[in-house]
Amino acid sequence: MARSGPTKTRHVDPTRRQQAVAAWVLALPFMALFLVFTAGPVLASLGMSFTDLRSVDIRNPLAVEFVGLDNYTKLIGDPLFRKVTFNTTLYLVLGVPLTMGFALAIAVGLNRITRLRGFFRVGFYLPVVTSIVAVSVVWKFLLREEGGLFNTVLGWVGVDGPGWLDDTSTALPTLVVMAVWRNFGTLMVIFLAGLQTVPRELMEAAEADGASAWGRFRHITLPLLRPTLLFGAVITSIGYLQFFEEAYVMTKGGPLDSTRSITFFTYDQWGYGNYAYASAAAYLLFIAIMLLTLLQFRLLREKD
Amino acid sequence: MKRHLGTGLDRLDLRRSAAAVALLTAASVALTGCGRDDDKSAGGEAQSDAIAEGEAKGEIEVWAMGTEGEMLEEFSAAFEDANPDADVKVTAIPWESAHDKIAGAIASGETPDVSLIGTTWMGEFAEAGGLMPTPEGLVDEADFFPGAWGSTEVGGTSYGVPWYVETRVLYYRSDIAAEAGWDEAPQTWDDLKQFATDLEEKGGAEFGLNLQPGQTGSWQSVMPFAWSNGVELTNEDGTEYTIDSPEMVEALDFYTSFFKDGLSAERILDPGELESGFADGSYGSFISGPWHTGLVEDAGLSQDEYAVAPLPGPDSAPGASFVGGGDLAVFQDSDNSDAAWKYVQWLSEAETQQAFYDEVGDLPAVESAWETGELAEDPQLQVFGEQLGSAVSPPSVPTWEEVAGAIDSLVEQASKGATSSEDAVSQMQQQASSIGTGL
Repeated sequence: MARSGPTKTRHVDPTRRQQAVAAWVLALPFMALFLVFTAGPVLASLGMSFTDLRSVDIRNPLAVEFVGLDNYTKLIGDPLFRKVTFNTTLYLVLGVPLTMGFALAIAVGLNRITRLRGFFRVGFYLPVVTSIVAVSVVWKFLLREEGGLFNTVLGWVGVDGPGWLDDTSTALPTLVVMAVWRNFGTLMVIFLAGLQTVPRELMEAAEADGASAWGRFRHITLPLLRPTLLFGAVITSIGYLQFFEEAYVMTKGGPLDSTRSITFFTYDQWGYGNYAYASAAAYLLFIAIMLLTLLQFRLLREKD
Repeated sequence: MKRHLGTGLDRLDLRRSAAAVALLTAASVALTGCGRDDDKSAGGEAQSDAIAEGEAKGEIEVWAMGTEGEMLEEFSAAFEDANPDADVKVTAIPWESAHDKIAGAIASGETPDVSLIGTTWMGEFAEAGGLMPTPEGLVDEADFFPGAWGSTEVGGTSYGVPWYVETRVLYYRSDIAAEAGWDEAPQTWDDLKQFATDLEEKGGAEFGLNLQPGQTGSWQSVMPFAWSNGVELTNEDGTEYTIDSPEMVEALDFYTSFFKDGLSAERILDPGELESGFADGSYGSFISGPWHTGLVEDAGLSQDEYAVAPLPGPDSAPGASFVGGGDLAVFQDSDNSDAAWKYVQWLSEAETQQAFYDEVGDLPAVESAWETGELAEDPQLQVFGEQLGSAVSPPSVPTWEEVAGAIDSLVEQASKGATSSEDAVSQMQQQASSIGTGL
């Protein structure tokens, strides 16, 4: 025997063993549900996106043709899909910086005041917990071409406001504004928490060294807030890339498809029974979300 | 983010049904080499054999949506009295989830015996192989409004029986029309144009005739004009779309001229806006279905102030209209199909249909049910009855909803002047051809 020294017996502590069994038993119900209802459908829909499955095939879902990447190439050539991709990108590009900027500005402001902070925090957070359906009805009234609050106020200063949701050039930006109003509250709370972790001593030291308010914000607050900002950017982007409800309730994707999003497109295709095509569209969106998230991690990660 | 958790019921449903179908196809990842079986298409299929004589027996499981679903169980007591061994069990399901629920049932083979099926779903479910062809001699096709019967026929085979119907007619402010010199409803397209103009110029309405400027369901207002003008959306056996025709262009041109001439609003109205605008005289007339009589009366109008009339045709009234409603179908997987068809037969008898109208208010699909009682006496209902005689159903093909979506979006473009009618119609054809009828 070449082995020397104390031989390692493969003895397993009975308590540990029991714990492992218990852990598996406890995890099993979740694992089973996850595999059957989450991982299964996700993989199946990926498979589906390479076939020509339609709603009429549901009795024989296996008797469909394998079409490779046809659905994906068809999507890329589909003028409507291009349009909805453009709309979604615009929504993202306008919406994310606005929401983050607005949330950060409010959070910094709230961090300074001490009186009424709770009141403002609740007030700014309130839109987040409202129902999109109720909100959209109210906003539709506010945005009406004639008699709407926005245009009435604009009328006082002599501006003749358009029908915000009835014009192809203003409908999407209007939805962006509404989304910013509705969503900045979440980020504001997160940023506020982040701001409170910025050490006071650091700020005071900088102040003593003569750093201006902007300088302190730029060189102390922002770098310390980087992980929080990253988190905010990621969740907001994921949310905005999937934008659907606002358009569905407020404009039904119109006028002239100017507010139709990728998710809306997928929803329509699903409704038409084009299951394979809809799955492919959903996967393209999924890939876009992944890439964007990776990119954000790259840009905003801690620099050593 | 919070916003994606609590809201969007539709999307949740979508996800859930997506998950269900995805599950069913889970294995297809590995097995996609199986390939399509080309001869399983609906149409060309023979009608089922005639059902046996005698009473219905056993349990009949029925799915129905909306008010029908709530009322049907109690209503069916009369059937159970006549067939003591039969037991009708009705499950009410909401319209919003009905399509996916039925699709799921067909996919899994766990269907009820009978279900109410929205007329525009017939093509899809029949092609999927879920519905049983109507048995020979069960009912007489001639008893039904032709448009309603048409909705049951997929590729020449009938897969159910029309149950109730609805159709679109012209609603107008008769008092304003009288002021503007119109004692009766317009009969021709030229009349309709003049009528709308007069309601604006002499009657003081802001918009003479409200039409839907595209978006979901606008085909239901456009197609009556097209059908009146002789358009056929598909060829006889439903294998090809035939939308592009001079008649279709002419109809769309006429439709969109109301927007160009300022007779119709170019924007989509908010819910309730039409009714209140109709009541205060800013909308002189509009086209809609039977449910609007109640809505405009709720908005404060009495029957002296508004009237309904059949839609004008190009040269004479009534022109064609859209017929919708519900069909009754028996599933392939029904284990009591004989009794199920007997139940369907009973529901489509004229007396049953009349009784059901009295109970629920659904307009009967059987013509003779309109010959007596309230349906024969009420002048408003008579207008609907008359219009139903010339109402057309959209093609019963699996892809109709998708083509309808394409038509809706092109109607919007044409209504807003973004494309010409010719281009819009040729694009409708192009998109429809690339989608195919699915038969």
